[in-house]
Amino acid sequence: MELISEEDKKYLREEFDKALKREVEILYFGEQGKGSQYSIQTKELLEELVALNDNLSLTLKNCDDADEMKSEGLSFCPSIKVKSERSGFVNFYGIPAGHEFISLVEAINDMGSNNLSLPDDVVEGLKGIDENVDIKVFITHSCPYCPGAVRNAHQFSLVNEKIKGSMVDANYFGKLSMKHGVSSVPHIIVNDKTGFVGNMPPNLFLDKVKEALK
Amino acid sequence: MDFSVRKNEHGSGRKHFSAAVIGSGPAGLTAAIYLGRSKVDTVVFEKVIPGGYVVNVEKIENYPGFVEGISGEKLGELYARHAERFGAEIRSEEVTKLTLNEVPFRIETSHGSYTSDSLILATGTSNKKLGVPGEEEFTHKGISFCATCDAPFFEGEDVVVVGAGNSGVQESLYISRFAKHITIMEFLDHSTAEPILIDRLNENNKIELLTSHSVVSFKGEKFLSNVDVKDIKSGEVKNLKVKGAFIYAGEIPNNDLVKDTIKLDEKGFIVTDDSLRTSIKGIFAAGDVRNTPLRQVATAIGDGAIAGHEVYKFLEESK
Repeated sequence: MELISEEDKKYLREEFDKALKREVEILYFGEQGKGSQYSIQTKELLEELVALNDNLSLTLKNCDDADEMKSEGLSFCPSIKVKSERSGFVNFYGIPAGHEFISLVEAINDMGSNNLSLPDDVVEGLKGIDENVDIKVFITHSCPYCPGAVRNAHQFSLVNEKIKGSMVDANYFGKLSMKHGVSSVPHIIVNDKTGFVGNMPPNLFLDKVKEALK
Repeated sequence: MDFSVRKNEHGSGRKHFSAAVIGSGPAGLTAAIYLGRSKVDTVVFEKVIPGGYVVNVEKIENYPGFVEGISGEKLGELYARHAERFGAEIRSEEVTKLTLNEVPFRIETSHGSYTSDSLILATGTSNKKLGVPGEEEFTHKGISFCATCDAPFFEGEDVVVVGAGNSGVQESLYISRFAKHITIMEFLDHSTAEPILIDRLNENNKIELLTSHSVVSFKGEKFLSNVDVKDIKSGEVKNLKVKGAFIYAGEIPNNDLVKDTIKLDEKGFIVTDDSLRTSIKGIFAAGDVRNTPLRQVATAIGDGAIAGHEVYKFLEESK
């Protein structure tokens, strides 16, 4: 049984046709050829997705390939990185299911276009950041507030290449969630240290990120 | 796992509208449907996702037409698609400021500025906080206001739910899929939830209802670990060991944008007349944020229809 309904496929085809101006590669690090239902389902989802537009391609990599993971700047597996000629670190640790499926669609559209839905003052603020910033947004699939926070992190990385934006499936990466004390989502961790909780408009989100960097 | 897609917005780039709706819950989106059918150019602002608070509800069973119930998320998406079908523009922007002393009204959002000849305030409500010691300290560190978001973190744990109204009982039933044991704490000597929900509560052996009890304080070190509760009748205080607490102890109106400009009742809800007009001409209120005797999807829909119709009449008369 297919994971994406026919109705949604029709909608996504139209969306991708309108949005995608360049090729987008989805790089999936998973447990290829074996693995859990989680890994199998992630791969199936991505295969269905890339079949919807000629500009989309899927590259499968194995979790065992530590060097490749490192060269992509990835820390955990499974991971889905959305790549194109556009600079930006747009990544998902774990499967973007439930409310997060839209985050994956938006990430693809962003990387395949020049979309940027951030206010000018936020863009200027992001350009002024001169240190590496790793933003991990811990989510649950049933959280309606989480995609907004994921979108902020991803869009921030499009503006400044020093910024990495990743969604983290808090339930799948349970130990990591515990390490960071995640018990409410969206929980945002900056540079694997401090963080904050909640979705908020981009300007306030940027303020919180800057505060966490201090 | 679910992989259904929420439809994306496509902004027109316009900055002026005849009608602006703040909030895209059932009331706001119904108003947008009525305005769209009246050929009124309409924008709807939503800070989370279309559907408003209703997207947090796993299943809505008392909204007519859906015999087996419908998820709040799905219902919200249907409302949004319905409003867009008739031309409403839904923008994922948080309204941060309203200037209401001149027409067109000025709307500042997280992403820019807009003007509108009329406004519908449909901003809904938020969960009320208890105001007891430890609540602020342990919010997001064991205390949550969103069961659908956070219940999975309490797999196999003991939790407390504060409030035995419809929300508290319904969310407790959801949390029981994860938690080992749930104690519902109710200030009154009875639950105010619908009898059908109380039946389900009674059938669920993971849930215990403690009436005539209130929370004295939340305690713990880094994270919540226990709660002091008081038996209101005897005055006895006892301690419950819990890892999580979910608070559903009533609602407060989301009135921040207008609390200094528009007439509110003693609880902060927007005062309206039968046509849902507020104290400022051209501004209407609909749904949970106004002074209404019942806050349900069905009543919000009715409000949205009235508000949409009345805004159309107002705009016609203003020509």
